Amino acid sequence: MDGSIQGVSVSAGKGVCITVSIRMRTRVTGWCFVIAAVVLICLFYFYPMIQAFNLSLKSGVGTNLQYVGFENYKRLFTDSNFITAVTNTFIYLIVQVPIMIILALLLSVMLNSDKLRLKGLFRTAIFLPCVTSLVAYSVIFKYLFANDGLVNLLLLRLSIIDRPIGWITDPFWAKVTIILAITWRWTGYNMIFYLSALQNIDRSIYEAATIDGASAFGKFTKITIPLLKPIILFTSIMSTIGTLQLFDEVMNITKGGPGNATMSISQYIYNLSFKYTPDFGYAATVSYAIVVLIVIFSYMQFRAAGDRR
Amino acid sequence: MKKWLTVVLAVVLLLSACSSGGGNKQDSSSGGGNGGGDNGGSASGGKEAAEITIWAWDPNFNIKALNIAKERYSKINPDVKINIVENAQADIIQKLNTGLGSGTTTGLPNIVLIEDYRAQSFLKAFPDMFYELTDTFNAADFAEYKVGPTSVDGRNYGLPFDSGVTGLFVRTDYLAEAGYSPDDLQALTWNEFIEIGKNVKEATGKDMLSLDPNDLGIIRVMIQTAGKWYLDENGEKPFLAGNEALKEAFQLYKEMMEADIVKPNADWSQFVAAFNSGDVASVPTGNWINASIKAESSQAGKWAVVPIPRLAGQPGSVNASNLGGSSWYVLNVPGKEAAADFLAKTFGSDVEFYQELVTEIGAIGTYIPASTGEAYSAADPFYNGQKTIADFAKWTEDIPRVNFGAHTYVIEDILVVEMQNYLNGKPLDDALNDAQKQAEAQVR
Repeated sequence: MDGSIQGVSVSAGKGVCITVSIRMRTRVTGWCFVIAAVVLICLFYFYPMIQAFNLSLKSGVGTNLQYVGFENYKRLFTDSNFITAVTNTFIYLIVQVPIMIILALLLSVMLNSDKLRLKGLFRTAIFLPCVTSLVAYSVIFKYLFANDGLVNLLLLRLSIIDRPIGWITDPFWAKVTIILAITWRWTGYNMIFYLSALQNIDRSIYEAATIDGASAFGKFTKITIPLLKPIILFTSIMSTIGTLQLFDEVMNITKGGPGNATMSISQYIYNLSFKYTPDFGYAATVSYAIVVLIVIFSYMQFRAAGDRR
Repeated sequence: MKKWLTVVLAVVLLLSACSSGGGNKQDSSSGGGNGGGDNGGSASGGKEAAEITIWAWDPNFNIKALNIAKERYSKINPDVKINIVENAQADIIQKLNTGLGSGTTTGLPNIVLIEDYRAQSFLKAFPDMFYELTDTFNAADFAEYKVGPTSVDGRNYGLPFDSGVTGLFVRTDYLAEAGYSPDDLQALTWNEFIEIGKNVKEATGKDMLSLDPNDLGIIRVMIQTAGKWYLDENGEKPFLAGNEALKEAFQLYKEMMEADIVKPNADWSQFVAAFNSGDVASVPTGNWINASIKAESSQAGKWAVVPIPRLAGQPGSVNASNLGGSSWYVLNVPGKEAAADFLAKTFGSDVEFYQELVTEIGAIGTYIPASTGEAYSAADPFYNGQKTIADFAKWTEDIPRVNFGAHTYVIEDILVVEMQNYLNGKPLDDALNDAQKQAEAQVR
């Protein structure tokens, strides 16, 4: 398949050129199709990445940027705002992602059962949050969970609590609110992935298990989960990446929470670039910190799932 | 049928991909031709300044003021087309930072409104992007405390606009129930304010004020009465540890929270709803809240304005302070001379214009000659006939001058965290020392 110029066929003069040019043309045509995408990817993907790294080596106010080498990276370790942002993001990650995945798994198994009627309605209802605008639903959550919002009103009326909970004004409850918001939004998304994967599991495996006397729980843990492992790995990595880049909910519901109790790393980058006196170099450094974290977490998850990378 | 559908979908996809190529699809609050304004403004600015674009926020205040100015200017110079674009303040800051940071000037306006707390950070971060206004207007005609934040090294870059002079707006009916009248409140200290708050709460069950835990505006008001700020006199280094005024302000804040006279709010609309619905008895803030207070017309006649309380523990603290306030800046893009001329002929020298601002919007400028006009001595029926504008103008003269520096918001974010720690039991000195260390690391 390579366009080697050998292959001079033994025929009339014109025949020789045709053989050569067909092979070359195939190769060149192939490259032509690919080169457009390659150029665009390099220009819009790799070039900005390199420039961002370049920017992270500079520091200064607004457009007065000077090279400072790795000082920005050293600053990350002593920056308490950054450390708080990372801690908050980790809390969201460790609490929210497992809860969401387990919830999505349970829902998908329930919605996959043959005996359930109105399956389409339930699936649509649970998936609908994913297509809402991030900002719109965040603002509504903000008003639902306000001190005199509907949620507090409901809890007070049902006598579950006797003083309104500060969902947005208390450092602990603000984190809970954010976690609730993210879970509400993304559970349906992951559930759809699991549903489609479940369709691929052969019914006969379940029937065999039932005949052998397995309980529903046993079927779930010993059949469903191992067979869904690749898709669980996929969704958990996607969720990790999404949570590490969390911005919209935090910005719109709590704006970083009382103080910086709910500030996420992306929100810190926004603050550094647009809220405070802009230090674009340091902001680029923080964004590279996110890249490093994503790489580490993805690698850990691949190893935990036992796949050879 | 399926094939046809596929073709239609593909065409729709292609069209939507093409359409977003032209013009910026930036989010803005109430559109209003911002797409055309962004590109049209600076693009045709090259043709000897026939068109200028202005960015500002708040349709009830700044935008209205601009419309009045536009009308007046069109009589002086009808050839200039003025586009007024409204965006939320946070969006304007973001767009300015992006535009100025990237170095491209297309899409930038000719005139932009910038809050005084933020102005220095822009002037220092992008020194070549602002057009000097020193010779276009007489800086001595403006309140002294506004000239500092709008200049760099003695050169004026901003034309001062609204006065953020603060007052204590009080519900006279709630106060009367607790046994107070506005005359008793003319020279309060913050400690007395808290006492009154407790009595009002007992008598009426209403909170005295509403605060947002993420916004330490009231701290800023308190420390400016004593002539102090988050930064030292040069506006360079953070001055948190050892700042006696700040310490007292923090203590007063904690006292207010512990006296249970504060209704918490989470954003601007909840803040406004607190007094519009009659849940709070007072609003200690800038005079610009006037428009929002008057929005609830059923409360007419029940409000009065008294001087803002001062810090009892700081010698030299006065019953006058400032919160917010912005100024107009001209960007160094084509059309700057026309823009500067527009500003100079309206905001910079037109006394009648300032009277209109007062009567139409209730906006108080910082142009000193304007206070001789008649609108400034009018009695306001909403406030029971009190001459509020005259009072505000009088207090404006007493506002202690402070160098806001370029880092107010960074430091305030740090202080918000430490305030929460302090409210939860951390010793005040530790909180301020930690804040000082963090601020020094963050501010470069």
